[in-house]
Amino acid sequence: MASLPGLNDSLHPADLGVDLNEPKHVSITAGSEWRVDVPQESKLTIKVHSGVAEIFGTELASDVPYVFQGTKFAVYAVEDAEFEWTSPELTSHSISSDTNMKFIYNVHFALEKLRVSSFEGPRVLIVGESCTGKTSLAKTLCAYAIKFKAHQPMMVNLNPQECIYSPPGCLTATPISDVIDVSSSTWGQSMTSGATKLHNKQPIVKSFGLEQISENKERYVSTFQQLANAVRGRVQNDSTVRRSGLIIDTPPLGQLSDDFSELKEIIYQFKVNAVVVCAKDDTLALKLNEHLPVETLAIVRLPTSSGVVQTDDVYKRALQRNAIREYFYGDFNTVLSPYTIGVDSDMITVWQPKSVLVQSDSQDDLLPVEINASNLQHALVAISYASRRSSSEEVSASPILGFALIMDVNDTKRKLRVLLPVPGLLPDKAMILTAYRYLE
Amino acid sequence: MECDKIAKDFASILDELTCNSKPIISTLTKMAEENIGCAQQMVDAIERRIERCVPNQKLYAFYVLDSICKNAGSPYTIYFSRNLAQLYKRTYLIVDNQTRSDLIKMFKTWLMPSSSSMGDHLFGKEALDAIERFLVKASALHQKHVAAPTVPGLLREIDKLSLLTRERAAQNPHDAKLKTKVVVLQQLKQELQREKMPPQALQQVQMQLRQIFAQEQQVLQQQHQQQQLQHQHQQQRLPRKALSTPPPQAPGATPAPRESEPVSLFGTPSLSSSFFPNASNIQPPTSEPSQKASKVQALYDTLRAEGLVKPVPQQSVVTLDRILSQNHKESAQTTLPPLNLLKDILGDVQSHFSTVGVDILNTPNLQLCQQTVIQDNPTVMQLRHLLYRYKPNKCSTCGKRFGSSEEEKKQERDHLDWHFRINKRIKGTAGANGATAKNIQSRNWYLDDTQWQRFNDEEIVSTTRSETDSVTLANLDASTASSSFSTSKFDAKSAPEKTEADLAKKYVTVPETHEDMSFQCPICREVQSAVYNDDIGEWIWPNCIQSQGKYFHSTCFHEAVEETPQQALNQGLERLKGLAG
Ligand SMILES: [Zn+2]
Ligand SMILES: [Zn+2]
Repeated sequence: MASLPGLNDSLHPADLGVDLNEPKHVSITAGSEWRVDVPQESKLTIKVHSGVAEIFGTELASDVPYVFQGTKFAVYAVEDAEFEWTSPELTSHSISSDTNMKFIYNVHFALEKLRVSSFEGPRVLIVGESCTGKTSLAKTLCAYAIKFKAHQPMMVNLNPQECIYSPPGCLTATPISDVIDVSSSTWGQSMTSGATKLHNKQPIVKSFGLEQISENKERYVSTFQQLANAVRGRVQNDSTVRRSGLIIDTPPLGQLSDDFSELKEIIYQFKVNAVVVCAKDDTLALKLNEHLPVETLAIVRLPTSSGVVQTDDVYKRALQRNAIREYFYGDFNTVLSPYTIGVDSDMITVWQPKSVLVQSDSQDDLLPVEINASNLQHALVAISYASRRSSSEEVSASPILGFALIMDVNDTKRKLRVLLPVPGLLPDKAMILTAYRYLE
Repeated sequence: MECDKIAKDFASILDELTCNSKPIISTLTKMAEENIGCAQQMVDAIERRIERCVPNQKLYAFYVLDSICKNAGSPYTIYFSRNLAQLYKRTYLIVDNQTRSDLIKMFKTWLMPSSSSMGDHLFGKEALDAIERFLVKASALHQKHVAAPTVPGLLREIDKLSLLTRERAAQNPHDAKLKTKVVVLQQLKQELQREKMPPQALQQVQMQLRQIFAQEQQVLQQQHQQQQLQHQHQQQRLPRKALSTPPPQAPGATPAPRESEPVSLFGTPSLSSSFFPNASNIQPPTSEPSQKASKVQALYDTLRAEGLVKPVPQQSVVTLDRILSQNHKESAQTTLPPLNLLKDILGDVQSHFSTVGVDILNTPNLQLCQQTVIQDNPTVMQLRHLLYRYKPNKCSTCGKRFGSSEEEKKQERDHLDWHFRINKRIKGTAGANGATAKNIQSRNWYLDDTQWQRFNDEEIVSTTRSETDSVTLANLDASTASSSFSTSKFDAKSAPEKTEADLAKKYVTVPETHEDMSFQCPICREVQSAVYNDDIGEWIWPNCIQSQGKYFHSTCFHEAVEETPQQALNQGLERLKGLAG
């Protein structure tokens, strides 16, 4: 039978009503934002009483509690807004009127004009160094795009360390066809089998699998090429998405080559026609102007907000951990029931992406993995559509069915316990090891 | 030779016409009158000026044209007639709305029989007709004229409304709200008669009256139906109520007690939702009414100080609050909506006025470039409303906004019904044997490339699908190992994309007989507005084809025909039959 290991009590809905502290009231004037940092083990509830307030472009409903955990975000007041917040822990927060919202509105309406004046929406690439607000900008632009007309922009995530409708290590593309879930650090739920409070999203997911792009740049490029192929077909079939265009988030520029070769390939593959540079000054934008094909590109710079959070490795890892948990178990709004099965170790085939960190003489992109505890204990593995006996090239080129978690490997009994998102048999498919480990 | 010099002088004086200067215009007119031999050169100079000067100065050059033709007459009128329509249309399209209405005023004078051309029109009939056809369509597209309300007109509306309300009050003698409404209408009437109000305030009053009026008619209609379907209605009533106030989201929260049901001044909460967008969430104020009233006044004063609302002596909502708070004790049961609600109303009204006639497509200074990103653009400040109160009805569960058109209202109802159904499923549904079916669920497998490429998110976001409708699930047996992955980059796909681009280039000239400047594509339901094509000098619908008297996006049409070859075949056969008979 299905078991529900490790379903954290703090996720249980009944827990929400318990307030250790009195609610605190905040009013923010139009044009300012309330910035807050909710620690991993803590929780924060917000309820808007009046005015118009939004989180990364998504407007909050009035008098509805929104719950946040282990995340940093800002509530922006479009009009004077009053809200209350509750958190059992000391949470650091501040109000600032120094935002770059004015520029974001300008960018949005320039894009919106392109959407209504053509049958091919703008294909926007967002670039910048780390901690320059790229992902927040992508989220805000997506959220705005669906407000006035029934657009469905395609959100493309090319940063494998970012988790957007997926666990970490993936490159994804997702039509944003409805409201983004502001309290989810993965932007919301990918498809589930039951009823959910908001409409789910249907992403296409490609597993890069390694932690750093520099470990295997060729694999990174071929992974986003596969994604671009899928996106191209969807855009051709789906006129709504085609007219709405693409919003593409990228890894910090420092993780890519200095000659912008990956960036150029992304621009070519996704037929990018606009680049938004998130940077404090013009240096990067000028440099890109020299190196990128400016005949077919509009390159603009968006000044950074003083509110961009400086994220450290610990914070990033915590978000990635949350994303893995959410993939299998859901969140406090949507509780999911994954399924644990036992399998013999000779019943599974696992590959791993080549990495400069691991010595190998093989020419192949994927290398076979020996089934033992030291390789697989607690590992997140991608399940491919390729059958278990496929060649390494076939597995490389195959779409991704989903992810499994190797909970336990017993080397003496040659047995494994595997957590699957979907109840049923283990699909008879080849698996690809990722660099991510998850302990309940 | 001499003409060259005169034309040169003429042109240099023309260049100084950077404002509406009577002296310059009469000097130029005089030159034209005195040098008829150089008419062609001067006509050329004026046409050049109109084409090349900055948009806000083009009108003045047109005034020169106008003045010369009206005073000197032919041959100027003949020469100008040749390019007049082109020149006029091009100018019209790039100038602001004020200039447009000045251009229209000027054009109207051309339609008068002129003295200089002996009772005939000033310019050739062909040119004038072309401009008129253009203007008819352009004004339908660019400006939505609203007849300015007048005080007598409003008084009549109030009288009609009072009559309806009294009628209803007579039927429901115990309804205190209706009585209040009659009183409020009476007060409004007196104030309209007493005070002089600026046009904008009158418009606000009119707008509010119209909404109340619509509600009143709706109520009367419902009462009519109610009498006919008394029994059925009683049964329908409960679920309806539940829908209009979705259950609270916070688990453990107790439902609000009946007595504190929101009091709304103008009708039932569900009916007034378009007027008071959040009416169903807001409880009537129970304390400190005078403090709230003064807060409203303060808010109003701030808005006025910032120029956000025009000085209006009788902003009805604010005035009503003041009046009612004075004799608060006598009218304890007729409390006004609270401060937040009044703020919302003012916000909606303000946003309504800033978005009237706003059209992103025709908004200048929005091309994606560095200047656009960093500038302070007043137009963007206006456009921002499109993301918020332009759609005044905000979902109380998820914050999504809906507009007040009939279509959006239907979408909103479907959306609220969807929340209601989903909430019921999340809470668990009671089965026939008394057991509760819980909403146990798990993550789905991702689709493979081919399935995902064919997937349409309508399947997810449609709020009118039934639970039993088929759902796209991953096909694990698909042998798609590498079917959609091609290493040849663009080459494989370039052919279909090309034909698609060709399709999108097809267009239809907007037919003279078509009363509307837009058409609705029957396939994707999107409304397509006309654009002016300068090359062919016509209003066209881009990406459009006509089939059997209907207009389609040519891309949509092509897709549909491709998917249903049989249907297309049948259509072809039908057409053949029609030809035979
Ligand atoms: Zn909703
Ligand atoms: Zn269409």
